[in-house]
Amino acid sequence: MLGTNKQFSAMTASYVIAITVALVIAVIFAPVVWNGVPSGGDDDPSVAVVDFRGGTTDANVNGIKQDLREIRANDSIDAVVLRIDSSGGPVDSSEELYLAVNRTTEEMPVVAYVEGTAASGGYYGIAPADEIVVKPSSNVGSIGVIVQAPLRLIEQAGQQSEAFVRSGPDKAQISKDGLREDIEVLQRSFVGTVMQHRSDELSVTRAEVANGDTYLGTQAVQNGFADRIGDSELAIERAAALADSIEGDQYDVVYLGGGAAAFNAIIVPAGATTVQGENNVTYLVHPEDETTFREPVKYYAVWGVPTEDNNATVIRND
Amino acid sequence: MTEGRIVKPLAVFIVVVVVLLGGIVLLALADPGSSGPPDGQSIDGQSPPQYQPGAVDMASDPEDGKIQIDTDVGEKRILIDTGHDNQLSKPSLEPMTEAVFDSGHTIEYGSLEVSDAEDSLGQYDGILIIQPLTSYSPDERDALQEYTESGGRVAVLAEPSQARVSSGPEQTSTTVSFGADTLTQRYGVRVGAEQLYNIDDDSNDNNFKSIYASPSDGGELTTGVETITLDTAGYAAITADTDAETTFTAAAGTRTLDTRRTGTYPIVVRNDNMVFVADSTFITRSEVYDADNEVFVSNLIEFLLNGDASD
Repeated sequence: MLGTNKQFSAMTASYVIAITVALVIAVIFAPVVWNGVPSGGDDDPSVAVVDFRGGTTDANVNGIKQDLREIRANDSIDAVVLRIDSSGGPVDSSEELYLAVNRTTEEMPVVAYVEGTAASGGYYGIAPADEIVVKPSSNVGSIGVIVQAPLRLIEQAGQQSEAFVRSGPDKAQISKDGLREDIEVLQRSFVGTVMQHRSDELSVTRAEVANGDTYLGTQAVQNGFADRIGDSELAIERAAALADSIEGDQYDVVYLGGGAAAFNAIIVPAGATTVQGENNVTYLVHPEDETTFREPVKYYAVWGVPTEDNNATVIRND
Repeated sequence: MTEGRIVKPLAVFIVVVVVLLGGIVLLALADPGSSGPPDGQSIDGQSPPQYQPGAVDMASDPEDGKIQIDTDVGEKRILIDTGHDNQLSKPSLEPMTEAVFDSGHTIEYGSLEVSDAEDSLGQYDGILIIQPLTSYSPDERDALQEYTESGGRVAVLAEPSQARVSSGPEQTSTTVSFGADTLTQRYGVRVGAEQLYNIDDDSNDNNFKSIYASPSDGGELTTGVETITLDTAGYAAITADTDAETTFTAAAGTRTLDTRRTGTYPIVVRNDNMVFVADSTFITRSEVYDADNEVFVSNLIEFLLNGDASD
């Protein structure tokens, strides 16, 4: 009797182990299975809502590029609403944002909903959208480029040139004329992009666009920087209406997390390292007790003012 | 029995795993996920037309030419005033100084001596006044007026009021203003109230504040000049009923920076032996070879050298 009980316990233990191992494997594969199931769980096409909040920094833009790539690869998603609140950032990553959104618009309707601000680099990103929906308090525009180049760097170009042995006369040199030419090139491609995508809607001239003014939502709808006043639900409706494969309200809405981190500080001193705290990010500029190099200038498509004096050694955004 | 103790749980394990993996395989087959044809390979617009070099690259003004001073007037002297908090740096004026030296003349720096004004000014053939921040005393104004009336030449380079940010940890902004309006008013001209800008790419030198101006008459100051470029230009306000004549005018579409007013803005004004230019950057090292600035600077120096002040 005792032997039978022992045998029964051992069998039970074996089953428990077998099922436990199977469950562990199931848990491991559950996300894969979950992600593999088309969102919405039925055959209706979907409108994806993807968020972009924060500066158009490398990290944020790479996040949304990944989201948009997945959206394009997902056959069940037929339209996108880009919910944006961004006052721009570096020009290089703002151009990346533009190219990613532009590519998406070639495949499916994209409607931008300006939750707060889509200025400068933020507007760069939504310029190719099929429609731009704003609220009265939305802030759009600020088409233009700034460069963060301490005047002393330009003034000390002569001194700098003697600090190193250089391979050519232009190596490691910054000049005011050179900066202006670079800014002009970046400005032209930015203004050109806005005119390329919005010239039919805009009632302002190219020169007025290049002035770099910002407009509140109601003004933007009047001058063509935006198309209509509404909320995010209206943006979703418009995206669905623009998609050929969606009929009426036969669609699902998928909310994607959005790769944009909530960075408040956009302008970070070049060469600063970041330290992620619990509720804040601290940027550290290392003292120049050894020869370190950093980008001498950085071009920004940004609407804003530096958060702190750049001469400070520690800048916090908590 | 021993076999059953191993086989049965193993069978359960295998069944569970096979069912799960099988389900995953089926799902994977049903949904190819992110694999598939290359993303966007056939999509237009990824090398957008507005990004092409032809659309964005611009021809920057070549920095060539030479400051060429052609005078056969013997050895002459030009005084550059430094006595009125003048905003100039000698190194930035070296290209001009060198050209004057090459042509056999002399540039001297110093403040106007008014104690015996007529004699002291009379030794110079021309006087160049660059952006003075302090005003000229009544005696100095009288002396300069007598000087020009007796054949001496004066050129005044003025800038519109503008904010200047001081360097250092405390970046304070102060407004800097041209200080010699009371002097130039005697010649019917003063610096205008605002700086100018031009957003049209064809009418500026790669920046909205760097405007173009072109000759509006055919006098000696404009010979050989098509376009000059000015970095911080204001405009000259000319009073009614004066002999002052505009010699250069800002390009069409130029506006005032604060109030965005378009108009015809005089940049260079001449009143007999006095020339007023509403910018002081065109003569400096970084700007002097832009556009036709070097020709204009040559003309301006010749204008000064051609003065005939009586000793």
